[in-house]
Amino acid sequence: MKILHLAALAVGLTLAAPASAETLIRIGYPGTGLDDRPYGYSDYPAVAHVQKLVEAEFADQPDIKVTWTFFRGAGPALNESLAAGQLDFAAGLGDLPSIVGRSRGLDTKFLAAAGTHDALYLAVPPNSPIASIDELKGHKVAQFRGTNLQIATDRVLEAHNLTEKDIRFVSLDSNAATAALVSGAVEASFGGAEYIDLAKRGVIKIIYSTKNDDPTLGRNEGLFVTGAFEKAHPDYTAKVVHAFVKAARFASDEANRDAVFEIWAKSGLPAESFAADFKDERLAHRVTPVIDAFIINRYKDQANRAKAYGLLKKDVDIDSWFETKYLQQALVDLKLEHFWPTYDVDGKLFTHGDVENTKAASN
Amino acid sequence: MSSGQSTDVIENPGRPSGVPCRFWRGFGRVGGLAQGLVVPAALLIAWGFSANLGWLPEQILPPPSEVFGALRETMNDGTLLSSTLTSLRRVAEGFLAGAVLGLAFGFVTGASRLAESLVAPLFLTLSQVPTLGWIPILILFVGIDESLKVLIIGWAAFIPVALNTTQGVRDVPRAFLELGRVLSLSRWSTLRSIILPSAVPSIFTGLREGLANSWQTLVVVELIASFEGLGYLMAYGRQLFQLELVLAAMIVVGLIGLSINLLLSLIESHLQRWNPGRQS
Amino acid sequence: MTSSVMGASGASTRAPVRSRFTPASLTPRLRPVIVPILGLALWEIAARTGLADPRFLPTLEAIAVRGVKEFSENGVTSDLAASLARDLLGFVAGASIGVALGLALGFSRLLERLLSPLLLAHRQIALFAWVPLISMWFGGGEAGKVVFIALAAFQPALTNTWQGVAGIPKIYRELSRVLTFSGWDFAVVIALPGALPGIFTGLHAALIYAWTATVGAELLLDIAPGIGGRMNEGQHLFHIDLLFLCVFLLGLLGVAFNLFAGALERRLMSWRHS
Repeated sequence: MKILHLAALAVGLTLAAPASAETLIRIGYPGTGLDDRPYGYSDYPAVAHVQKLVEAEFADQPDIKVTWTFFRGAGPALNESLAAGQLDFAAGLGDLPSIVGRSRGLDTKFLAAAGTHDALYLAVPPNSPIASIDELKGHKVAQFRGTNLQIATDRVLEAHNLTEKDIRFVSLDSNAATAALVSGAVEASFGGAEYIDLAKRGVIKIIYSTKNDDPTLGRNEGLFVTGAFEKAHPDYTAKVVHAFVKAARFASDEANRDAVFEIWAKSGLPAESFAADFKDERLAHRVTPVIDAFIINRYKDQANRAKAYGLLKKDVDIDSWFETKYLQQALVDLKLEHFWPTYDVDGKLFTHGDVENTKAASN
Repeated sequence: MSSGQSTDVIENPGRPSGVPCRFWRGFGRVGGLAQGLVVPAALLIAWGFSANLGWLPEQILPPPSEVFGALRETMNDGTLLSSTLTSLRRVAEGFLAGAVLGLAFGFVTGASRLAESLVAPLFLTLSQVPTLGWIPILILFVGIDESLKVLIIGWAAFIPVALNTTQGVRDVPRAFLELGRVLSLSRWSTLRSIILPSAVPSIFTGLREGLANSWQTLVVVELIASFEGLGYLMAYGRQLFQLELVLAAMIVVGLIGLSINLLLSLIESHLQRWNPGRQS
Repeated sequence: MTSSVMGASGASTRAPVRSRFTPASLTPRLRPVIVPILGLALWEIAARTGLADPRFLPTLEAIAVRGVKEFSENGVTSDLAASLARDLLGFVAGASIGVALGLALGFSRLLERLLSPLLLAHRQIALFAWVPLISMWFGGGEAGKVVFIALAAFQPALTNTWQGVAGIPKIYRELSRVLTFSGWDFAVVIALPGALPGIFTGLHAALIYAWTATVGAELLLDIAPGIGGRMNEGQHLFHIDLLFLCVFLLGLLGVAFNLFAGALERRLMSWRHS
């Protein structure tokens, strides 16, 4: 039975967390770049990753190691990892998967916003007869289920008097969806900025976008920590939030506009895509860590709608989810209390922020 | 099955089914049945308890009531029925196509050594590739529509049917063929009265394995890319973290697997009764 | 017995000293490769002349070039190694548990009565139906993949071992009782060797299933180094040459596994008959 012992040992080693003396800070990001490379885009966690800001916070503590995991399966796969106890932080997790996770008992704390007003795009093959959302009825459409794309799509459909049942949805991750769209395996696809470059090259056509539409149609993302990690290491949590706020500051400053696009271009999508995605839109409109009345209301609204669409089985308590003390501390420490504007429940400007005065270098 | 074995104290490992051990003998057949149900019942009870008492976080195992709730819900809104029918239809189509082609292929290569030496090596090499390894290429060729499913399920059925049919036809005892020649049987009669009956057990083994493979392949291909079906339900449940939906779909998959196996066992025993001299 | 009629008759009409490579005796040797070579030739012609869309059917040369590139630069060797490592780990874990349980079930009537309905139910569920559940329990990383591969190896190992033990003729048991063997002696001297063919069949099947599960796990779970990951890449980026290369490698490995397991089994059988 030596084989049995060896096997048990092997399985145990694989499944057990590293028993070495170092502490791991495991950050998860829901998404990958082009051809699945480990880079994110369109938010400040991606900037934090590239600039190694989190690692810098712990530079003087050699027994602490920061790891980043990029999930091809986006939010749902990240949730699985959280449930299996394999992650400590979720950076940029979309609204729907974070709400779903919470409704299933995942113990997370909402530390800061990681993005809002993210646009949803509807793409079709170049010679497609489909010209608008209304014409999608009965067609094969790709959509990454369980991600914030789904709830945003459902809302858009609702605005056009359609439901999910009217459309034949297939769940594909963003790279698979692009391939399916280009090869004609699906007739349309809902996605994000990854389609802009393809549209520019004429490989596909974008026929709808929520950009500059009703502000509540956009997608949201957040920065989360597991309850267990926060309880065990509140000091580390504070440092991690500190690093992310620094990244947010960099990524929302108009003076850094081009630099930020270059950083996001490490994902494989060209910088021009982001320029187009953010056309006539200030960086700070989407990149903000501040949890204001708008964000809180957005999440409550998304939770209600998710339940109405059948994506959630139970009600979720949003108010008790937020743990903003680390965010507030970081804002104070970095003297950024008045850097970002805040908005009220309807999305109207509530207080001004200094970032509104920043200008792009080319202006 | 062996019955009437000696019932001594030493554990007597005979064939899997037989006389129950001493302790339960008093209860007879009911005792045997009860023994079989003990473990599943205990697990079910433990599941219910731990879920209700909150010992297990619900993302690990939702309470049985939720799984039944998911089953009920999907039955009520018709999703379960339509998904099951879609999946079954795909298996039927793919299996039929693969089995028919496999039978034809098997007969030709079994009967003709020339054909076999020409085609068999290539076929054998191709069959070493795990069936689902062909899916990415096939997706690029035919997209993610029904044709993808039928093609890959057909291939999964083709391999064992062809292999076993070849074997069955080739293994017809020479003596029988000689007899056919002596009796001046026509080709067709030889096929019908000599080759077929002799080859049927092997052919049936091939068909059985082909159906099992088809079912397995269906689940994979529906998980990878589908708009509907049982595999789609499972994938959907996974994306939305609805473990009870995943479990409900798994139960249905298991029940269908069981039905297929029972049906095949029935047919097999029927065939064996008619062909008593044969050991399968 | 398998020599063709042609070769036999051809040899009998010639002088026995003649070299072996006469045209008549060559043809049967060539037959296995005729169709593949013809097929490859057709492929190459179709691809080169543009008869077939080069996006769907790259020339064999393109595939070979891609192969060289992958092995020298892109590190497909490390991908293969990663896949094989997972496969091995899962196989060892699953197969050993399967064999152990199979032996236990074969020896203990009680255990068999208690567990067989559960195991029977487990058998009815198609293997890949477990993927969503396993990824929700263990995550989609290494742990989840290895657990799934172990599950794939477990089933055939268990079933064949159990049958192997059950197939030990009653006569041996009675013999062991007559010779007053203890339970342990019976197990080691008679039962285990008797069950070994079944065990080896189980391990052979488990090896094949585990490899299929490895590829499947890499296609369905998180991105990580591995042959499945390369196939995903090929599919998403329309690199058909990469896909064909991967299929070729999969076939090679499949053949290797079968040959290896077959050779082991034959070794065992010859030992048994000696």
